[in-house]
Amino acid sequence: MSEAAIEVRELYKEFRIKDASIGSLKTLLMWWKKRSVFEVKVLRGISFSVSPGECVAVIGKNGAGKSTLLSLLAKIYRPTSGTVSIQGRLAPLLELGAGFHPDLSGIENIQFNAVVLGLTRKQVAERTQQIIEFSELGDHIYAPVRTYSSGMTARLGFSIAVHVDANVLLVDEVLSVGDYLFEQKCLAKVAEIRAAGGAILLVSHNLETIRMFADRCLWLERGVMRMEGPASEVIPAYLASDSESATASQIRAAP
Amino acid sequence: MLDELKELWRFRELLLTMVERELRVRYKNSALGFLWSFIIPLTTMAVLTFVFGYLQDNGMRSFSAYILAAYLPYLFFQQSIMDSSQSVLQYMPLVKKIYFPREILPLAVILGNFVHLLFGFVVFFVYLLVVWLINRGESPFQPTTVLLPVLFFISFILSTGIGLFVAALNTFYEDVKYLTSVALYLLFFLSPITYMSEQVAYSRINIKSGGLIYNIYNLNPIAVLSTAYRQILLAPQGIPVNGVKQVPIMLDPKYLIWTLFLGFATLFGGYHLFNRMKWRFVERP
Repeated sequence: MSEAAIEVRELYKEFRIKDASIGSLKTLLMWWKKRSVFEVKVLRGISFSVSPGECVAVIGKNGAGKSTLLSLLAKIYRPTSGTVSIQGRLAPLLELGAGFHPDLSGIENIQFNAVVLGLTRKQVAERTQQIIEFSELGDHIYAPVRTYSSGMTARLGFSIAVHVDANVLLVDEVLSVGDYLFEQKCLAKVAEIRAAGGAILLVSHNLETIRMFADRCLWLERGVMRMEGPASEVIPAYLASDSESATASQIRAAP
Repeated sequence: MLDELKELWRFRELLLTMVERELRVRYKNSALGFLWSFIIPLTTMAVLTFVFGYLQDNGMRSFSAYILAAYLPYLFFQQSIMDSSQSVLQYMPLVKKIYFPREILPLAVILGNFVHLLFGFVVFFVYLLVVWLINRGESPFQPTTVLLPVLFFISFILSTGIGLFVAALNTFYEDVKYLTSVALYLLFFLSPITYMSEQVAYSRINIKSGGLIYNIYNLNPIAVLSTAYRQILLAPQGIPVNGVKQVPIMLDPKYLIWTLFLGFATLFGGYHLFNRMKWRFVERP
């Protein structure tokens, strides 16, 4: 077994939330005034690893900590404690197109985003044509990104992310944004990256997609790992617990 | 701090791309585009020449050149800091979605402004050349001009240090931007940009204080830099004080050393603060 592509050990993350919404100098100057600070423990000791060529899905209800986990893997947050190590180049597909500048054309955004993801400018120049072709945006590529529809933006973001030679892909509910044909094309591309030894971590509410793709499933509940195993075992358990709690609340609601 | 610098070096391609983008976006939707970088110093020069050559002739030869030599570096300082203060907030959508060393954001806007400073000085030298070709007097170009990169360096580290401070603080406390803009506005009048530092040295209050006022005045790094740029780029000439021409005073190097020290201190302090705060940018409420 080769070294894991993603290795997460005892990962904890808590956010300190202050009651004052936007910070101002006033809150800084009035330090003597007590501010209620409360801590939200979003992740409480998560450990797992993903091997090269493996696709692991993360499921769980809203607020279970799925997005926080992906953000920690993408190095957007720093863990409160625990470690995250990634072997190779990571391409996060968290809410596609968020890194675009609306006033720049698609092609200029390609150049910028691909460099953010770790290509050199020379490599970007070589691949720009490929990226444009994959996105099927045609002449729109010369128009500012603010004129794009959300589907077009997603196409562009996806095309860039799959052309940067990433061997770790973080996918957050993005496969559903394009039209059906493009979605199929994306899934094929993801499968191709995976066949070439790429590791994929997928967060989705679409259990059908997960059944099709994921080798393993992690079920997060309120920041802890409730269950880990093959999708065929975890998904039924997840659904069962869901209907269980739904019935439980129905019973409680009943007079 | 060493690790942070290594990480920054690893992302140098991104920094270069950001600077390019900075230069391109600024004038993206304007018809004249990049020419604006030249138009601002050019029009400033034209208005200064008219005002100080004809409307308010203070008796100094080509006073407008003396103003521009100090105004261009001030403009760089001011713009760098104001742009830095917004740099992280402006790219918040990107910061929330993707990792890269956050200091690239203020650094890119500062480097972008530095390029504009260079354009400004191109206009400045062309102006000197044109005036010389028309008047055919003594060459206006000073051999000390070779020291210009030294002053650029000091201006750059000072702006970067303060820019990093302001960028980090303004991300959490948005009043910092307003405080900074007031401070920069006042600094303009407290620095010898529209007047000469010799006029401060020859002022009655300074002479009465035994030179103390002039010393305090030169604690301001922008005051020192304004005088320094002027003195390496332009010939010294008599300074009119109360209708009497006084001899020019060369800047004491001790002020320049102080400014250099201040530059390094703000650079290290600013970078340290920025690194301490940068992980919390995304957790901003």
